[in-house]
Amino acid sequence: MGRLLRNLPRAAVLWLLLAGAAVLAADAPGATPRVPKPVIEAARGGQCVEDPAIMRRDHMKYLKHQRDETVHGGLRGAKYSLKTCIECHASQTTQSVAATQTNFCVSCHSFAAVKIDCFECHATQPAATSAFHPLVHPSGTTALLSRLVRTLGVETPSARSQP
Amino acid sequence: MNPVPPTPSQDAAQPERRGFLGVAAAGLAGILLAPGVRLIEIAQAAPAAGAATAGADPQVRWGMLIDSTKCSSGCTDCVTACRTENGLPENPGTTGAQWIRKIEIKEIRTGKTQSLPVMCQHCAEPPCVDVCPTGASFKRADGIVLVDKHICIGCRYCVMACPYKARSFVHEPQTNQKPDVPRGMGTVEGCTMCVHKVDRGEQPACVQACSAAGHGAIVFGNLNDPTSEISKRVRAIQTSQLRADLKLDPGVRYHGI
Repeated sequence: MGRLLRNLPRAAVLWLLLAGAAVLAADAPGATPRVPKPVIEAARGGQCVEDPAIMRRDHMKYLKHQRDETVHGGLRGAKYSLKTCIECHASQTTQSVAATQTNFCVSCHSFAAVKIDCFECHATQPAATSAFHPLVHPSGTTALLSRLVRTLGVETPSARSQP
Repeated sequence: MNPVPPTPSQDAAQPERRGFLGVAAAGLAGILLAPGVRLIEIAQAAPAAGAATAGADPQVRWGMLIDSTKCSSGCTDCVTACRTENGLPENPGTTGAQWIRKIEIKEIRTGKTQSLPVMCQHCAEPPCVDVCPTGASFKRADGIVLVDKHICIGCRYCVMACPYKARSFVHEPQTNQKPDVPRGMGTVEGCTMCVHKVDRGEQPACVQACSAAGHGAIVFGNLNDPTSEISKRVRAIQTSQLRADLKLDPGVRYHGI
């Protein structure tokens, strides 16, 4: 209780700052937002390997862990394989995750100002004959079901945080 | 806050309650399943295309046997297959990457000539791994020697250390790489024994091309398995390793040189 009281002025200042920032950042209703938001193109499959909120925060950790398992241990086609990410998230128009500014990886990374060098070596396009991740195969039952769920608008934790 | 010991009457009620909770849990699982929240588990249980591979097995030692008596001069099927499979430049020039090359050797006294492919020999004691300052050059558990390009700083010590001239440095920015074979400027690379194919249970591209063309000069297999084709062949015929005097114990063996 004592600690709470001691921290109270600091918390109040923080709250005021946040509120002020929110007022400044708020746009007039109906106007185009001043801050451009990343364009996130819809993925081809039905469902991501994790909840989108988790993927946004932790995808780099999963990818880094997976890359060591694959290069040194020879585990391929695992859950967090970059290859399977690209197969699903490649744009329908450019067939790539990094060809134009609106493509999946580039659009978010330029918004967040985080430079990635994955695609200096890795292919940005899936192979012509590539197999989809078992989770998201376009003709698979799983993808079909979750697409149906999204169409029907059933509220699920994963559907809510879908971009 | 001490836990109250259960009274006999409560004990008697337990089985019924447990039964009810079991039914409730089953119902809840069904509800969760319907909106697709629990679908991950189903998908993971179902075997499908693109399933995960088992990984490098330390019991295995992958190797190749190259029969130079069956390798004809002028044939570059293995070299072409390697370039196609790994997305290497068509004309490597003086600085382009080259993972496998054909060499012609001649015994001066007799004039006998031989043609054979040379690539990374996948040594058991690889000097490229010894000299690498970052640990990027490494040997997998199954004997395949690779470069981890995430760690490679492009110093090229391994290029200097390799007695087989098997490694190349990538000088130019790369585009249109193969999804299975990432390659980029500023890193060293060499024959991977088509590790992405081997992990899927297939044979390296050069071996497939050589047998598809009807030469059958390259045999690929597990040197540690006495029943494998390559083990039977190396037991039956005279084979040698290149620069055996260096005691690097290469996984690639040659017959007829």
